[in-house]
Amino acid sequence: MRITVNGVTTNVDVEDEMPLLWVLRDELKVKGPKYGCGIAQCGACTVHVDGLAVRSCSITAKQVEGRDVTTIEGIGSPDALHAVQEAWIEHQVAQCGYCQSGQIMSAASFLSMHPSPSDDQIDHAMSANLCRCGTYPRIREAIKTAAAKMREA
Amino acid sequence: MKPRSISIFAIGFLLLGAAGTAFSHGPGDDGSQIDLVVNTPEEDVTLEAGLAAWDRIYTVTSHPRCSNCHTDERNEPMWSGPSYGKTRPHGMNINAGDSRIGVETIFCSTCHVQSTAPNTVRHAAPHTGHPWMLAPVEFNWFGQTSETVCAQMRDPERNGGRNGDDLVEHIIHDAEIKAFITWGFNPGGGREPAPGTMQEHLDDMVAWTAAGMPCPVDGD
Repeated sequence: MRITVNGVTTNVDVEDEMPLLWVLRDELKVKGPKYGCGIAQCGACTVHVDGLAVRSCSITAKQVEGRDVTTIEGIGSPDALHAVQEAWIEHQVAQCGYCQSGQIMSAASFLSMHPSPSDDQIDHAMSANLCRCGTYPRIREAIKTAAAKMREA
Repeated sequence: MKPRSISIFAIGFLLLGAAGTAFSHGPGDDGSQIDLVVNTPEEDVTLEAGLAAWDRIYTVTSHPRCSNCHTDERNEPMWSGPSYGKTRPHGMNINAGDSRIGVETIFCSTCHVQSTAPNTVRHAAPHTGHPWMLAPVEFNWFGQTSETVCAQMRDPERNGGRNGDDLVEHIIHDAEIKAFITWGFNPGGGREPAPGTMQEHLDDMVAWTAAGMPCPVDGD
Protein backbone atom coordinates (compact mmCIF):
# COMPACT_ATOMS: atom_id res chain seq x y z
CA MET A 1 0.00 0.00 0.00
CA ARG A 2 1.02 3.62 -0.47
CA ILE A 3 1.62 5.66 2.64
CA THR A 4 2.56 9.31 2.77
CA VAL A 5 4.87 10.27 5.63
CA ASN A 6 6.29 13.76 5.98
CA GLY A 7 5.28 14.55 2.41
CA VAL A 8 6.96 11.51 0.89
CA THR A 9 4.76 8.77 -0.56
CA THR A 10 6.17 5.28 -0.30
CA ASN A 11 5.00 1.80 -1.22
CA VAL A 12 5.15 -0.46 1.80
CA ASP A 13 4.56 -4.21 1.82
CA VAL A 14 2.88 -4.71 5.17
CA GLU A 15 -0.21 -6.35 6.63
CA ASP A 16 -3.26 -4.07 6.66
CA GLU A 17 -3.48 -4.44 10.43
CA MET A 18 0.14 -3.54 11.19
CA PRO A 19 0.13 -0.57 13.60
CA LEU A 20 1.37 2.62 11.99
CA LEU A 21 4.11 2.87 14.62
CA TRP A 22 5.60 -0.40 13.37
CA VAL A 23 5.42 0.82 9.77
CA LEU A 24 7.18 4.02 10.69
CA ARG A 25 9.94 2.59 12.84
CA ASP A 26 10.59 -0.84 11.32
CA GLU A 27 9.69 -0.36 7.67
CA LEU A 28 10.42 3.31 6.98
CA LYS A 29 13.10 3.75 9.67
CA VAL A 30 11.39 6.89 10.96
CA LYS A 31 12.44 6.60 14.59
CA GLY A 32 11.09 9.82 16.09
CA PRO A 33 7.80 8.29 17.28
CA LYS A 34 8.57 6.13 20.32
CA TYR A 35 7.09 2.88 21.56
CA GLY A 36 5.88 3.35 25.12
CA CYS A 37 2.87 1.23 25.97
CA GLY A 38 1.43 0.04 22.66
CA ILE A 39 -2.17 0.60 23.84
CA ALA A 40 -2.72 4.37 23.53
CA GLN A 41 -2.14 4.97 27.22
CA CYS A 42 1.08 7.02 27.20
CA GLY A 43 1.30 9.18 24.07
CA ALA A 44 4.97 8.56 23.23
CA CYS A 45 4.06 7.41 19.72
CA THR A 46 1.92 10.44 18.81
CA VAL A 47 1.96 11.56 15.19
CA HIS A 48 -0.38 13.69 13.09
CA VAL A 49 -2.80 12.14 10.64
CA ASP A 50 -4.27 14.85 8.43
CA GLY A 51 -3.05 17.35 11.00
CA LEU A 52 -4.61 15.83 14.09
CA ALA A 53 -2.78 14.01 16.86
CA VAL A 54 -3.19 10.24 16.80
CA ARG A 55 -1.48 7.45 18.74
CA SER A 56 0.39 5.63 16.02
CA CYS A 57 0.50 2.41 18.05
CA SER A 58 -3.28 2.09 17.75
CA ILE A 59 -4.07 3.09 14.19
CA THR A 60 -3.35 0.62 11.44
CA ALA A 61 -1.44 0.98 8.21
CA LYS A 62 -4.64 0.49 6.22
CA GLN A 63 -6.36 3.29 8.12
CA VAL A 64 -3.75 5.85 7.05
CA GLU A 65 -3.59 4.81 3.41
CA GLY A 66 -4.20 7.93 1.33
CA ARG A 67 -3.87 10.24 4.33
CA ASP A 68 -1.04 12.56 5.34
CA VAL A 69 1.09 11.29 8.22
CA THR A 70 3.45 13.73 9.90
CA THR A 71 6.01 12.76 12.50
CA ILE A 72 8.35 14.82 14.66
CA GLU A 73 10.80 14.66 11.76
CA GLY A 74 8.29 16.44 9.54
CA ILE A 75 6.92 19.37 11.51
CA GLY A 76 10.14 21.40 11.40
CA SER A 77 13.75 21.21 10.30
CA PRO A 78 17.00 22.14 12.06
CA ASP A 79 17.00 25.38 10.10
CA ALA A 80 13.32 26.10 10.56
CA LEU A 81 12.03 24.62 13.77
CA HIS A 82 8.34 24.48 14.58
CA ALA A 83 7.38 27.06 17.21
CA VAL A 84 6.79 24.25 19.71
CA GLN A 85 10.27 22.86 19.07
CA GLU A 86 11.79 26.33 19.56
CA ALA A 87 9.92 26.75 22.82
CA TRP A 88 11.00 23.28 23.94
CA ILE A 89 14.64 24.27 23.56
CA GLU A 90 14.15 27.67 25.19
CA HIS A 91 12.55 26.08 28.24
CA GLN A 92 14.90 23.06 28.20
CA VAL A 93 11.83 20.90 28.63
CA ALA A 94 13.33 17.50 28.02
CA GLN A 95 14.96 15.51 30.77
CA CYS A 96 15.42 11.95 29.50
CA GLY A 97 13.55 12.98 26.34
CA TYR A 98 11.83 9.69 25.54
CA CYS A 99 8.30 11.11 25.60
CA GLN A 100 9.18 14.44 24.04
CA SER A 101 8.41 13.74 20.39
CA GLY A 102 4.93 12.64 21.42
CA GLN A 103 4.54 15.65 23.69
CA ILE A 104 5.58 18.04 20.93
CA MET A 105 3.27 16.44 18.36
CA SER A 106 0.32 16.62 20.75
CA ALA A 107 1.12 20.22 21.61
CA ALA A 108 1.48 21.24 17.97
CA SER A 109 -1.86 19.69 17.04
CA PHE A 110 -3.55 21.30 20.04
CA LEU A 111 -2.13 24.76 19.32
CA SER A 112 -3.17 24.58 15.68
CA MET A 113 -6.77 24.69 16.92
CA HIS A 114 -6.34 26.72 20.12
CA PRO A 115 -3.97 29.64 19.61
CA SER A 116 -4.62 31.15 23.04
CA PRO A 117 -5.10 28.26 25.42
CA SER A 118 -5.68 28.60 29.14
CA ASP A 119 -3.60 26.64 31.64
CA ASP A 120 -6.65 24.47 32.25
CA GLN A 121 -7.02 23.71 28.55
CA ILE A 122 -3.32 22.86 28.29
CA ASP A 123 -3.59 20.51 31.26
CA HIS A 124 -6.60 18.74 29.78
CA ALA A 125 -5.03 18.50 26.33
CA MET A 126 -1.68 17.20 27.52
CA SER A 127 -2.57 14.92 30.43
CA ALA A 128 -2.76 11.88 28.19
CA ASN A 129 0.92 12.30 27.30
CA LEU A 130 2.87 10.83 30.18
CA CYS A 131 6.32 11.99 31.26
CA ARG A 132 8.01 9.81 33.86
CA CYS A 133 10.58 12.53 34.49
CA GLY A 134 7.80 14.87 35.57
CA THR A 135 8.59 17.74 33.23
CA TYR A 136 4.96 18.84 33.17
CA PRO A 137 5.52 22.39 34.49
CA ARG A 138 8.08 23.05 31.77
CA ILE A 139 5.81 21.47 29.16
CA ARG A 140 3.02 23.86 30.12
CA GLU A 141 5.29 26.92 30.02
CA ALA A 142 6.77 25.89 26.68
CA ILE A 143 3.30 25.50 25.20
CA LYS A 144 2.39 29.00 26.35
CA THR A 145 5.59 30.35 24.81
CA ALA A 146 4.91 28.44 21.58
CA ALA A 147 1.38 29.79 21.48
CA ALA A 148 2.72 33.34 21.70
CA LYS A 149 5.22 32.65 18.93
CA MET A 150 2.51 31.23 16.68
CA ARG A 151 0.21 34.19 17.29
CA GLU A 152 3.01 36.61 16.37
CA ALA A 153 4.04 34.71 13.27
CA MET B 1 -44.57 -12.65 16.59
CA LYS B 2 -43.95 -11.90 12.92
CA PRO B 3 -40.22 -12.14 12.26
CA ARG B 4 -38.35 -9.75 10.02
CA SER B 5 -35.02 -11.40 9.38
CA ILE B 6 -32.05 -9.08 9.16
CA SER B 7 -28.57 -10.38 8.52
CA ILE B 8 -26.24 -7.55 9.17
CA PHE B 9 -22.65 -7.45 8.00
CA ALA B 10 -21.43 -4.01 7.01
CA ILE B 11 -22.46 -2.57 3.64
CA GLY B 12 -25.21 -2.93 1.06
CA PHE B 13 -28.71 -4.36 1.44
CA LEU B 14 -31.22 -6.58 -0.32
CA LEU B 15 -34.99 -6.50 0.04
CA LEU B 16 -36.55 -9.97 -0.09
CA GLY B 17 -40.28 -9.28 0.08
CA ALA B 18 -43.14 -8.34 2.35
CA ALA B 19 -43.18 -11.38 4.67
CA GLY B 20 -39.55 -11.01 5.58
CA THR B 21 -37.19 -8.14 4.95
CA ALA B 22 -33.55 -9.10 4.86
CA PHE B 23 -30.58 -6.81 4.75
CA SER B 24 -27.38 -8.51 3.62
CA HIS B 25 -24.21 -6.67 4.44
CA GLY B 26 -20.60 -7.49 3.61
CA PRO B 27 -18.29 -8.59 6.39
CA GLY B 28 -16.58 -6.15 8.74
CA ASP B 29 -12.85 -6.01 9.36
CA ASP B 30 -12.98 -9.23 11.32
CA GLY B 31 -15.30 -10.97 8.88
CA SER B 32 -17.95 -11.43 11.54
CA GLN B 33 -21.63 -10.77 11.12
CA ILE B 34 -24.43 -9.80 13.44
CA ASP B 35 -27.80 -11.41 12.81
CA LEU B 36 -30.76 -9.50 14.18
CA VAL B 37 -34.43 -10.32 13.69
CA VAL B 38 -37.15 -7.71 14.18
CA ASN B 39 -39.94 -9.72 15.79
CA THR B 40 -42.93 -7.48 15.18
CA PRO B 41 -45.76 -8.35 17.61
CA GLU B 42 -48.91 -9.64 15.89
CA GLU B 43 -51.03 -8.70 18.90
CA ASP B 44 -51.10 -5.63 21.09
CA VAL B 45 -48.38 -5.50 23.71
CA THR B 46 -49.91 -5.00 27.14
CA LEU B 47 -48.85 -2.25 29.51
CA GLU B 48 -47.47 -4.89 31.84
CA ALA B 49 -45.37 -6.48 29.10
CA GLY B 50 -44.22 -3.07 27.92
CA LEU B 51 -43.10 -2.11 31.42
CA ALA B 52 -41.28 -5.41 31.80
CA ALA B 53 -39.48 -4.72 28.52
CA TRP B 54 -38.58 -1.25 29.77
CA ASP B 55 -37.12 -2.69 32.97
CA ARG B 56 -34.80 -4.84 30.88
CA ILE B 57 -33.91 -1.90 28.63
CA TYR B 58 -32.99 0.07 31.74
CA THR B 59 -30.65 -2.66 32.94
CA VAL B 60 -28.80 -2.10 29.67
CA THR B 61 -28.83 1.70 29.63
CA SER B 62 -27.75 1.88 33.27
CA HIS B 63 -24.92 -0.60 32.81
CA PRO B 64 -21.48 1.05 32.91
CA ARG B 65 -20.73 -0.11 29.39
CA CYS B 66 -23.47 2.27 28.20
CA SER B 67 -23.84 4.90 30.90
CA ASN B 68 -20.12 5.70 31.23
CA CYS B 69 -20.39 7.72 28.02
CA HIS B 70 -23.93 9.03 28.63
CA THR B 71 -22.89 11.72 31.09
CA ASP B 72 -24.04 15.19 32.03
CA GLU B 73 -23.01 18.72 31.10
CA ARG B 74 -19.64 18.34 32.84
CA ASN B 75 -18.70 16.39 29.69
CA GLU B 76 -16.62 13.86 31.61
CA PRO B 77 -16.62 10.27 30.42
CA MET B 78 -16.69 7.96 33.43
CA TRP B 79 -14.77 4.88 34.44
CA SER B 80 -17.08 2.68 36.48
CA GLY B 81 -18.07 -0.95 36.75
CA PRO B 82 -16.25 -4.15 37.67
CA SER B 83 -13.60 -3.61 35.02
CA TYR B 84 -12.58 -0.29 36.54
CA GLY B 85 -12.64 -0.58 40.32
CA LYS B 86 -13.60 2.64 42.08
CA THR B 87 -16.01 4.84 40.12
CA ARG B 88 -14.20 7.90 38.84
CA PRO B 89 -13.94 10.15 35.80
CA HIS B 90 -11.94 8.90 32.83
CA GLY B 91 -8.25 8.97 33.65
CA MET B 92 -5.75 11.33 32.03
CA ASN B 93 -7.84 14.37 32.93
CA ILE B 94 -10.05 13.79 29.90
CA ASN B 95 -12.94 16.14 29.20
CA ALA B 96 -14.87 15.82 25.96
CA GLY B 97 -16.06 19.43 26.10
CA ASP B 98 -19.37 20.77 24.86
CA SER B 99 -18.51 19.30 21.47
CA ARG B 100 -18.66 15.87 23.20
CA ILE B 101 -15.80 14.72 20.92
CA GLY B 102 -12.97 16.63 22.60
CA VAL B 103 -12.49 19.48 20.12
CA GLU B 104 -11.83 21.86 23.01
CA THR B 105 -8.76 20.01 24.30
CA ILE B 106 -7.97 16.53 22.99
CA PHE B 107 -10.08 14.63 20.50
CA CYS B 108 -11.44 11.29 21.67
CA SER B 109 -10.15 9.99 18.34
CA THR B 110 -6.56 10.70 19.38
CA CYS B 111 -6.62 7.41 21.29
CA HIS B 112 -9.93 5.77 20.30
CA VAL B 113 -9.54 5.04 16.61
CA GLN B 114 -12.51 4.19 14.39
CA SER B 115 -12.45 0.50 13.54
CA THR B 116 -14.80 -2.46 13.30
CA ALA B 117 -12.02 -4.86 14.25
CA PRO B 118 -12.60 -6.79 17.50
CA ASN B 119 -11.35 -5.27 20.74
CA THR B 120 -8.92 -7.91 21.93
CA VAL B 121 -6.22 -6.13 23.93
CA ARG B 122 -6.76 -5.56 27.65
CA HIS B 123 -6.48 -1.94 28.78
CA ALA B 124 -6.19 -0.67 25.21
CA ALA B 125 -8.39 2.28 24.24
CA PRO B 126 -11.51 0.60 22.81
CA HIS B 127 -12.80 1.34 19.33
CA THR B 128 -15.99 0.93 17.32
CA GLY B 129 -17.13 1.51 13.76
CA HIS B 130 -18.37 4.96 14.84
CA PRO B 131 -16.05 7.79 15.84
CA TRP B 132 -15.63 7.76 19.62
CA MET B 133 -17.65 10.40 21.47
CA LEU B 134 -19.91 11.10 24.41
CA ALA B 135 -23.62 10.74 23.73
CA PRO B 136 -25.46 14.07 23.37
CA VAL B 137 -25.83 15.73 26.75
CA GLU B 138 -29.63 15.34 26.61
CA PHE B 139 -29.10 11.57 26.77
CA ASN B 140 -27.76 11.72 30.32
CA TRP B 141 -28.04 8.25 31.80
CA PHE B 142 -25.15 7.98 34.26
CA GLY B 143 -26.58 7.52 37.76
CA GLN B 144 -30.09 8.38 36.61
CA THR B 145 -33.27 6.57 37.71
CA SER B 146 -35.35 4.32 35.50
CA GLU B 147 -38.10 6.94 35.46
CA THR B 148 -35.74 9.69 34.37
CA VAL B 149 -34.12 7.68 31.59
CA CYS B 150 -37.48 6.41 30.39
CA ALA B 151 -38.91 9.94 30.20
CA GLN B 152 -35.89 11.02 28.17
CA MET B 153 -35.96 8.01 25.87
CA ARG B 154 -39.57 8.57 24.80
CA ASP B 155 -39.32 12.33 24.43
CA PRO B 156 -38.48 13.29 20.82
CA GLU B 157 -37.26 16.63 22.13
CA ARG B 158 -34.55 14.79 24.05
CA ASN B 159 -33.96 11.57 22.10
CA GLY B 160 -32.74 12.91 18.80
CA GLY B 161 -36.22 13.40 17.35
CA ARG B 162 -36.95 9.68 17.25
CA ASN B 163 -40.33 7.95 17.39
CA GLY B 164 -40.70 4.29 18.32
CA ASP B 165 -39.80 2.99 14.87
CA ASP B 166 -36.77 5.25 14.83
CA LEU B 167 -35.57 3.85 18.15
CA VAL B 168 -35.78 0.33 16.76
CA GLU B 169 -34.02 1.42 13.59
CA HIS B 170 -31.33 3.05 15.70
CA ILE B 171 -30.37 -0.36 17.09
CA ILE B 172 -30.38 -1.96 13.64
CA HIS B 173 -28.26 0.83 12.16
CA ASP B 174 -25.84 0.53 15.06
CA ALA B 175 -25.34 -3.14 14.25
CA GLU B 176 -24.78 -2.31 10.58
CA ILE B 177 -21.82 -0.08 11.37
CA LYS B 178 -20.74 -1.88 14.56
CA ALA B 179 -21.15 1.21 16.67
CA PHE B 180 -21.58 1.72 20.40
CA ILE B 181 -24.61 -0.47 21.18
CA THR B 182 -23.00 -3.35 19.35
CA TRP B 183 -19.74 -2.77 21.22
CA GLY B 184 -21.59 -2.61 24.54
CA PHE B 185 -22.68 -6.22 24.18
CA ASN B 186 -19.23 -7.35 23.06
CA PRO B 187 -16.72 -4.86 24.45
CA GLY B 188 -13.75 -7.22 24.59
CA GLY B 189 -10.55 -6.48 26.45
CA GLY B 190 -11.82 -8.07 29.64
CA ARG B 191 -14.60 -5.52 30.05
CA GLU B 192 -17.96 -6.68 31.38
CA PRO B 193 -20.57 -6.52 28.61
CA ALA B 194 -24.02 -5.00 28.95
CA PRO B 195 -26.53 -7.60 30.23
CA GLY B 196 -28.29 -9.90 27.78
CA THR B 197 -27.79 -9.93 24.05
CA MET B 198 -28.29 -7.36 21.34
CA GLN B 199 -31.16 -9.47 19.96
CA GLU B 200 -32.86 -9.45 23.36
CA HIS B 201 -32.32 -5.69 23.58
CA LEU B 202 -33.87 -5.26 20.13
CA ASP B 203 -36.80 -7.50 21.13
CA ASP B 204 -37.34 -5.37 24.22
CA MET B 205 -37.21 -2.13 22.23
CA VAL B 206 -39.73 -3.50 19.73
CA ALA B 207 -42.05 -4.60 22.55
CA TRP B 208 -41.66 -1.37 24.53
CA THR B 209 -42.32 0.87 21.56
CA ALA B 210 -45.26 -1.31 20.44
CA ALA B 211 -46.71 -0.89 23.93
CA GLY B 212 -46.61 2.89 23.53
CA MET B 213 -43.31 3.44 25.35
CA PRO B 214 -44.71 3.19 28.88
CA CYS B 215 -42.65 4.40 31.82
CA PRO B 216 -42.80 3.18 35.42
CA VAL B 217 -45.03 6.11 36.40
CA ASP B 218 -47.63 4.87 33.91
CA GLY B 219 -47.95 1.62 35.84
CA ASP B 220 -48.78 3.29 39.15
